[in-house]
Amino acid sequence: MIIALLRTPARIRGGIMLESATHVGLQVTDGPLSIDQFGAESARIGRAIADRYHRYHIETEEVDDADPLPHRFLVKVGKVGLAKLIGKESLKYFGQFDVILARPCTYGVFSGPVGGFVPKPKLCVGCLRCEVQHPDFVKVLPNPDLLKLGDSYTTHGHIAAIDEEAKKGMVPVRGQGYRGRFGGPGFDGMLTDMSEIVRPSRDGIHGRELIGTAVDIGGKPMHLSFDSNGKLSGSTPEMFTIQVPFIFDLPPGDLGTPQLASVVDSTSRRIDTLACLDAHTVARLGLDAPNIVPVLDNTEASRASEFPNARLIELRSSPGRPWGWDAAGFDIATEATDAMIGIRIHFEEGWQDRMSQAVESGVKVIHLLADLHGCGSDGTFVTELFKEAHLLLLEQGRRDTVTLFGGGGIVGADHVPKAIISGLDAVTLDLPVLFALQGRSNGSLRQRKQVSGTLPRHLDRDWAEQRLTNLCGSWRDQLLEILGAMGIREVRRLRGEFGRSMVVKHLEDEAFEGIAGYVGGDC
Amino acid sequence: MAMLQDLVDAYKGKIVKPSDALLHKTTHLIQDGMNARAFGEYEKPKALGDARWTDELILSTWYMAETGEVPDKLNFKTGKSDGGFDRLDFQFLPESDWLEHSEAIDTKLPLNRRGDKKNKIEIDIPWYGGGMSYGSVSVNVMMSRAKNAKQWNSFMSTGEGGYPPELYELKENVITQVATGYFGVEEETIQAAPIIEFKYAQGAKPGLGGHLLAAKAGEEVAKLRGSVPFVSLFSPFPFHSTYSVEDHSKHLDWIETVNPKAILSVKVSTPHDVDMVAVGSYYAGAHIIHLDGGYGGTGAAPEIAKKNIAMPIELAIPKVHKFLQKEGVRDKVTIIASGGVRTADDIAKAIALGADGCVLGTTDLVGMGCTRCSNCEGGPSGRGCPWGLTTTDIELQEWVQQDWGAKRLDNLYTAMQWRLRDILRKLGLSNVRELRGRTDLLKYIGKEAGE
Ligand code: SF4
Ligand code: SF4
Repeated sequence: MIIALLRTPARIRGGIMLESATHVGLQVTDGPLSIDQFGAESARIGRAIADRYHRYHIETEEVDDADPLPHRFLVKVGKVGLAKLIGKESLKYFGQFDVILARPCTYGVFSGPVGGFVPKPKLCVGCLRCEVQHPDFVKVLPNPDLLKLGDSYTTHGHIAAIDEEAKKGMVPVRGQGYRGRFGGPGFDGMLTDMSEIVRPSRDGIHGRELIGTAVDIGGKPMHLSFDSNGKLSGSTPEMFTIQVPFIFDLPPGDLGTPQLASVVDSTSRRIDTLACLDAHTVARLGLDAPNIVPVLDNTEASRASEFPNARLIELRSSPGRPWGWDAAGFDIATEATDAMIGIRIHFEEGWQDRMSQAVESGVKVIHLLADLHGCGSDGTFVTELFKEAHLLLLEQGRRDTVTLFGGGGIVGADHVPKAIISGLDAVTLDLPVLFALQGRSNGSLRQRKQVSGTLPRHLDRDWAEQRLTNLCGSWRDQLLEILGAMGIREVRRLRGEFGRSMVVKHLEDEAFEGIAGYVGGDC
Repeated sequence: MAMLQDLVDAYKGKIVKPSDALLHKTTHLIQDGMNARAFGEYEKPKALGDARWTDELILSTWYMAETGEVPDKLNFKTGKSDGGFDRLDFQFLPESDWLEHSEAIDTKLPLNRRGDKKNKIEIDIPWYGGGMSYGSVSVNVMMSRAKNAKQWNSFMSTGEGGYPPELYELKENVITQVATGYFGVEEETIQAAPIIEFKYAQGAKPGLGGHLLAAKAGEEVAKLRGSVPFVSLFSPFPFHSTYSVEDHSKHLDWIETVNPKAILSVKVSTPHDVDMVAVGSYYAGAHIIHLDGGYGGTGAAPEIAKKNIAMPIELAIPKVHKFLQKEGVRDKVTIIASGGVRTADDIAKAIALGADGCVLGTTDLVGMGCTRCSNCEGGPSGRGCPWGLTTTDIELQEWVQQDWGAKRLDNLYTAMQWRLRDILRKLGLSNVRELRGRTDLLKYIGKEAGE
């Protein structure tokens, strides 16, 4: 059948491979193709197509540490105890070196010429065999220097996970089960669903190889209008696409250095996402580009014209001025540029009205901001706030006319899908950038303005770009795991899918209702 | 010269099967060290334990595995996870109404309630051993578990890794698992088993499939799985032949053709519609619905999956139990719960929430020395578990000798059965089956001020 189709050039044109075949320059011969020629041509064409093929993927590569985190464990070996043991065993197992020199550690902590006399705690993984085997003189302790990193929300656990993800660019995999608390506050109180038999596609081993993570930025009209000639008359979609549902936000506190701006610029370009940067920094460093989102004070809206390459410009309230919806600023910015204008709205009293008015005025991107513990000014957590924003726009029949970004409290890979399930199109990353680059924070990490941190002294740009790329690759792959388990083939479909999530508190109410002493989920 | 070579080899840490002397030395050091810790001769290791398996739960499990008794100085009942089993307790009767602690308190559990012509199986305790494949654990660990299952007239599951020849002598107590990679699924292994378990999903990595790293897929593992040595093996997700309950039913029919007497277990995870999944499995012909909750153990899983995907078992059991009751089929099917069931107290709570019995995995491993260090997948050494549990490394696997492992588990189960009877008698129940669904016998412990 295939041979028949491919016998003559005319018939080849009707075949499935035609378009590709002509693009790659099929050598058309007079007369029929022999089977051998057909095979050779097919292989050549296939190779040429494969060589041209590109599917979105983040290239990760393990990188060295610049300023490693404190290692997880301290290993203390009593030298007298060890010497006694060696003496005793040398007599008992005289000449049997495999026995005398056998070490409990398979990870090399006691390796090297002097063995346990100078242990290498950075290799310790905490299996505790040494301490159990030699209780008299070995102690393995959690390292207090690691435990004190971060604060009550962004814990040392988050920081260590980000550090590992940015180092290796892989999905963290470990043995044994979950080690943490049951449910918990904030994002921990939400679980994602899975399907026993559905997978996102029938291709590949697990079906998640073809999941899309691209998101559209901008707005679509809720319907299309046509004139009497059948031509489009009303508004048309104004959108562009980025490849991952996370973008880099303004570095909080004192982190907005030119060095960091340069790193988020190059990384966002490399992975095809966006980086919000202060407009002054963008102008000063000459960073105006499609991947950069200059953030302007509302009073400087006219300066939007200075960024001709930007696809999106965000407006924020001016320092020291109460923030209300300022249609004038938006109008001025819209006049000044062809770029889309987005509005940053903090979850402060009245945010719902400001959002509604902004969307009413034609704003296509709303960037919602909680504090860095993920709370609005009234203490409500972002999962609830994002949901409220999403539902409000749905009720107004405007959800697809606007893109919702949201940030604050996103410090783990699982927070990305959970925030999107809560109603966002994309999340914005702030503190993870600091920790991916092995920076250290001082004090509370709650209020953006008060964040104080230091980056490694010699921040090599290539190194930093690879670290951030690795983090994004790891988080994207973890997003694929979640989507794969749910049987969802693209992240756009995850938005507002509350029904594919479970709230621990609700599940507890259902499961424990009627049990003495149970008064409603308390996590 | 030979001595010098030995010295060089020893210094380089060359991996060989241990000599008798080394085996003797290491196993004694490990076993004595575990006992010293469990008996309180030394302080608790500061780095031991986590919220689910606290230091005291691990040490008490070691204590029970050594002595066959529950400890009086360690909390052997609950962890500190701040929810689920750890916030539930029993409402015991006044002491004057307690029954005698005696062997007359019945802990038997029938597994086939359909009243069909298949095997009528009753186990002596309301739990059995969950699937751990050869490759993810050593033959010694598998055999320890199987020997103990025989001792207790219970079962252990092969997991998805094939059926090591040694297991055939214990086949009456071995469940053959059929999972998505079909590793080790052959006519003989299906015909050998009184119970066949279809694994649709696993609680620790629901919806994700499995992956045995190349380093752990050595010669022996590859032989049993019919694969190439040291090539990674994937168990895809899900069954590529199953897209509906009807397809699932065909699976079960296929088993019935090969082994008409085997009863069928369907292992599923805990999505939000787990109740529908359970009822579908029942109507497809399952005798056992095995629910594996999100906090369960695994040889290796993405960290993001362990906590975030699907629900904890404590929340899934009542949902399924009540739904099957409403459908009028609850008494025709056995619900087995797993995924974070650690202790006899957890088992009793799971049953009170609506399960018939439980499956244990991590508890068995802890009984044989596991410290929950999470390096099972290979760890930086690439050799697997340093305690000889989740490894097929020719040296490390020797640290768990079969008879020692079986004895540890026997002791552990003795103590757990004792505790289960203790709970039942304090509730005034002479039979574990009477506990099923009795949420009125539970109480929820709220948080103290300041917690
Ligand atoms: S705890 Fe384990 S990894 Fe750490 S030094 Fe001891 S034996 Fe090695
Ligand atoms: S590596 Fe061994 S000791 Fe550590 S968690 Fe795994 S089974 Fe347990």
